[in-house]
Amino acid sequence: MKIVACYNVKGGIGKTAAAVNLAFLAAHEGARTLVWDLDPQGAASFYFRIKPKVKKGSKGLLTGKKTLEDVVKGTDYPNLDLIPADFSYRNLDLQLDEVKKSDTRIQKLLKPLASEYDFIFLDCPPSISLVSENTLIAADAVIVPTIPTTLSLRTLDQIVEFCNKLNIDHTKIITFFSMMDNRKKLHKQIVENPPQHVRVLDASIPYASDVERMGVYRQPVPVFAGNSRAAKAYRALWEEIKSVLH
Amino acid sequence: MKSLHSAQFIVSQSIDSDAIFTLLQHEFSLHETDHTRLKCHYLDTFDWRMYQKNYVCSWYQTANKRAKNREGIFFIHEKETGNSICELPLSRVPKFSKDINHQAYRSMLDNILGIRALMTVAVLTVKRRQLIILDEEHKTLALLQLEQYTIDESADDDQPAGRLIVCPVRGYPKVFKRVVQLVTEQLKLPHSREALLDEVLTVTGKRPDTCKLTGFQELESSFSTWEAVRILLQHLFSVMQANEYGLREAIDTEFLHDYRVAVRRIRSILGQIKHVFPDKLLAYFKREFSWLGTVTTPTRDLDMYLLKFDGYIQALPDDLQQHLEMFRLFLQRHWKIEHARLCRALDSKRYQKLTSEWQKILANADMPLQREMSTGSQAQETCNAAEPARIVARQRIWKLYKRILKEGGSITPQSHDEDLHELRKSCKKFRYLIEFFQDYYVGKSMKQLLKTLKQLQDNLGDFQDLCVQIEQLNGFAEQMQQEGLADTKTIMAMGVLVERLNERKTALRAEFRRQFESFIQPEKKAVFVEALRVQQHEGVTE
Ligand SMILES: Nc1ncnc2c1ncn2[C@@H]1O[C@H](COP(=O)(O)OP(=O)(O)OP(=O)(O)O)[C@@H](O)[C@H]1O
Ligand SMILES: [Mg+2]
Repeated sequence: MKIVACYNVKGGIGKTAAAVNLAFLAAHEGARTLVWDLDPQGAASFYFRIKPKVKKGSKGLLTGKKTLEDVVKGTDYPNLDLIPADFSYRNLDLQLDEVKKSDTRIQKLLKPLASEYDFIFLDCPPSISLVSENTLIAADAVIVPTIPTTLSLRTLDQIVEFCNKLNIDHTKIITFFSMMDNRKKLHKQIVENPPQHVRVLDASIPYASDVERMGVYRQPVPVFAGNSRAAKAYRALWEEIKSVLH
Repeated sequence: MKSLHSAQFIVSQSIDSDAIFTLLQHEFSLHETDHTRLKCHYLDTFDWRMYQKNYVCSWYQTANKRAKNREGIFFIHEKETGNSICELPLSRVPKFSKDINHQAYRSMLDNILGIRALMTVAVLTVKRRQLIILDEEHKTLALLQLEQYTIDESADDDQPAGRLIVCPVRGYPKVFKRVVQLVTEQLKLPHSREALLDEVLTVTGKRPDTCKLTGFQELESSFSTWEAVRILLQHLFSVMQANEYGLREAIDTEFLHDYRVAVRRIRSILGQIKHVFPDKLLAYFKREFSWLGTVTTPTRDLDMYLLKFDGYIQALPDDLQQHLEMFRLFLQRHWKIEHARLCRALDSKRYQKLTSEWQKILANADMPLQREMSTGSQAQETCNAAEPARIVARQRIWKLYKRILKEGGSITPQSHDEDLHELRKSCKKFRYLIEFFQDYYVGKSMKQLLKTLKQLQDNLGDFQDLCVQIEQLNGFAEQMQQEGLADTKTIMAMGVLVERLNERKTALRAEFRRQFESFIQPEKKAVFVEALRVQQHEGVTE
């Protein structure tokens, strides 16, 4: 089992879109796949039309009253399950702080699922917090969507620093360029000279209205626009991530 | 990923999807899809390995020629529960476990199939209509599939009954329960009692009765030697015939292997159970079955090299590995030639004559006795035929045991490889005889003796294989040079390979003594003697 976290400190840059589409592609190939929507806003749950509600909430999970297995929901797609978001996740940070070994709690919760799934995608909320610390520790790979702008690159440095500070192996950070617009000169420049100190994938996701339409269809892009530029980009991205994961 | 228990109901022709729709629409929001037509290929090995492990393997593809998505889907289900274990897109019907990309499923299949191939055991056309139960967000909560089946090769009136399959979605158990309740109580549909595959196999008359190929018919203790031998030979001959198709089609390498084992066992009976056939006939059959052994050997040898090939590559240092590929090419090329030659032999008049003569002989319930034994010498030739099989076999087994003790005991570190080969052959004959006549002797203690014998045989067998491989590899290298297939690197790689094999051979040779000692332990011998209950006075002419 491989745990793949989609993470960035910045919001609104395509983390959830990546988690949902990559998980769908993995499942479509036959891999047993799970998405855990850790963001209390529940965007991933929304895309899968699953109510953002977990019985007994995050407390139930942290106290062991409920296991993750109890709260898994099947999606509309073969081989693809989801653990929905819950409103209580907005306090997850504080709740984690109260338990023992607070930084490896999520890892521990996921452990029993190891034999059930080939891939577990964590859709993380945008923040630097105990939740993100947990996911960074639990993950085998941390996918960081990055918009090719100077400011975003600085954020990327922040993440690497954050890892170093916590003694987390920062080589598991994998970046790809998200919402890329080839007409923008700056985007092009940055893509042509990517940062050297982290791994940047060749595949990138263009700025495309089909990604936005996910909110209308409430489906992964390959389901309603299988031949679109965006779907192809996500396929290429998944191929490259798989090769890195091996 | 947890597999969920679906519910399957038998549906009579008169019920259509409308009735189900009407029933459920009061409580649920429904979406109904059009009919789809699917081709379902049920897959299993020749010896039904999936079925025996209680799995159903299938490959589905849309039967609609104009469909955009023609990609197939490979399934593994649990036979009894119908639970789905695996659902994978796959463009072609898979043959070997290596055709499955998904690592966990590949190794699961690998454990079950080994080197055996999946074959299509039945083809079914499925007409399916889906009824999807949705919540207010249009999320699927449960799935109903109404299916009608046509077995391609069967008559219209002899088809499996249709089914209604209710599939749960994880995390929505209440919906599933309610649907099942409604269908059971309101529509009064009966639960299906057996797996669809079983129903299909009943209709097609194909049954995985594997005992036909593995076990022998029980030998009664009153049987004469001819009666017993005839049953054994008939069985072995049917194994040969059952494997002929697969070896001609080269479905997998086990067909040829099993065919050859049957031939070898027949030869063993002809050679070991003496004075049953008239001399002239015996000489003919011995010669012809020996010929069959010979014509099948080159293909089997090449099969073996190809099966071991990945192991060969791994035995080499990294930089030489790629240079062995030419050797694989060479083997594949020669395999084709030899296999064609083998098929020609099986098409020959000589083979036809052998099979018809053989069937003629075996058809006769008491052939050797019915013949008027006009001369004394002919009576002598078949003098064991009417004797009790129990006694004749026992004496021969005892004799072979003594031979093994003698041959094995005289082997020293200085002995020639040939001496080990002789011992290997004696062990094989010994084992075959014990297996043939196990009804007479085999008890728990005998099983233990057979276990240590097996270890000894593995040692000797591997040793023999290595001797042959080492010799042949040198020959192949030469041949490849002549065929212009080998550069210096390839020859070098093969040289290193021979070295590795030689090392293994030496190790096996060193191991032999320990295996043999374990086989001849006094307490094991006592057990064996007891099992055979050898009574020297039960004299029968050898
Ligand atoms: N490649 C893209 N092209 C166009 N729009 C995109 C693209 N990727 C994401 N979007 C849109 O941008 C918005 C934010 O995307 P998404 O929710 O995936 O980002 P996020 O990083 O998960 O955000 P948050 O931090 O709020 O969780 C969504 O409306 C989405 O449809
Ligand atoms: Mg998000």
